[in-house]
Amino acid sequence: MVARVDAGHGGNVATHMTPSLMARAVLIVIAMLVSRPALAQVDLAGMWASPHHQNWMERDPGSNPVDYLALPLSDAGREKALLYSYSQMAQMAHQCSLYTPFYSVIGVSGLKIWPETDPVAGNKIIAWKLSGFNFDVITIWMDGRPHPSKNAFHPYSGFTTGAWKGETLITHTTHMKAGFVRRNGAPSSDQATMTQYIIRHGDLLTMTAVLEDPIYLTQPYVVSRIFRLDPHANIRTTEGACEPISEVPDLDVAGVVPPYLPGKNPFVNELTEVYHIPVEAVLGGAETMYPEYRRRLKETYVRPDKCVRYCGQNAPGLHMIIDGSGKPQP
Amino acid sequence: MKRSLVMLLVAAAAAVGNRADAHHSFAATYLETQEITVEGELVQFAFRNPHSFVQVTAPDADNVMQRWAVEWGASGQLNSQGVTRDTLKPGDHVIVMGSPGRNPADHRIRMKTILRPKDGWKWGGVVD
Repeated sequence: MVARVDAGHGGNVATHMTPSLMARAVLIVIAMLVSRPALAQVDLAGMWASPHHQNWMERDPGSNPVDYLALPLSDAGREKALLYSYSQMAQMAHQCSLYTPFYSVIGVSGLKIWPETDPVAGNKIIAWKLSGFNFDVITIWMDGRPHPSKNAFHPYSGFTTGAWKGETLITHTTHMKAGFVRRNGAPSSDQATMTQYIIRHGDLLTMTAVLEDPIYLTQPYVVSRIFRLDPHANIRTTEGACEPISEVPDLDVAGVVPPYLPGKNPFVNELTEVYHIPVEAVLGGAETMYPEYRRRLKETYVRPDKCVRYCGQNAPGLHMIIDGSGKPQP
Repeated sequence: MKRSLVMLLVAAAAAVGNRADAHHSFAATYLETQEITVEGELVQFAFRNPHSFVQVTAPDADNVMQRWAVEWGASGQLNSQGVTRDTLKPGDHVIVMGSPGRNPADHRIRMKTILRPKDGWKWGGVVD
């Protein structure tokens, strides 16, 4: 077979090619035609505000103590959660700690996302960066690098890699520190890993996080959050400086140990008293995540006459149903 | 010597860098449906992140003098509401109202209002 290649300058170069060589050349040409540069992927850059329409209680003022409903806690996870006392956070050793990257979907703030481009290739995105409030800047490496050794240091940011599948950015995070899956002390271990699916729909961004933890969870814990593009959101690029001080002097006394002893958590029955939710549901577990569990409770559940907590106070723009009328408050 | 100093500075920067606050749940920390009022002398005003704190010495319900830790907003939040690090001074006589902490032994309050009768300065609002 003879292929003629225009060598320019009006001349022709005749080259003999085998069929396999020709096939390879065709494949290369096709690959060049269909491949797109990194910049042609979805642009995630911008300030993404958190509208708090989803799970306002969890994301804004914070969850109730001993509310593990719909958390797939293992027995070890439940035991550790019940030892947690809010007073721990006020101790000097803990007040400046950061949350893990999982907090990007359960925390209060929106996200700032920006690309890091290859300084030589110019338009090739080698990483996406995510910042917010109370978690370290997350770097999603897009350059194909491997995750570090399992014995490597676990920074607050964890270690994250990502790859596009269609228009979905799929990320995988390892090397996280031990942290929380809910702001009331429900734990995650330093062996937890997270897979995120990040999808942009115009001015909306959906992030679905799947947290797996062989120590404190029995099943993957899935949380999905929507963010809205807002150029005025003014989300910080790095965490603000935190100055440890004696916040609560009564806690900085020798011999004061805030965590509760096993079996001594005073708030175990609080949700049952306030919302009439059975204590076995309050204590969570994988089955409490599923609709079937709700149907099981429906036969015996008696709703309180009046909402006394988290009835829409301090939630601008959110009109909640707070009584038996079934109508949102004005 | 100079190299050691540089290494020391790098280590110090690594130790203090990338820190911020662990934003706790207010519902898990305070009895948000209850209110407590204390009146006494301000002994410290820490205008800072993650949250500012006002320390006030005032008697409790049994008339025993206590040092109350009153949790307020982050410095940036308060700044946007006209509160600066110079707004309050030790020795100021203040009246504080807020939600009591869940553990009474902590003597802790989440700030809802603060009044300084001497000049009528007051603040009331919501911070997270």
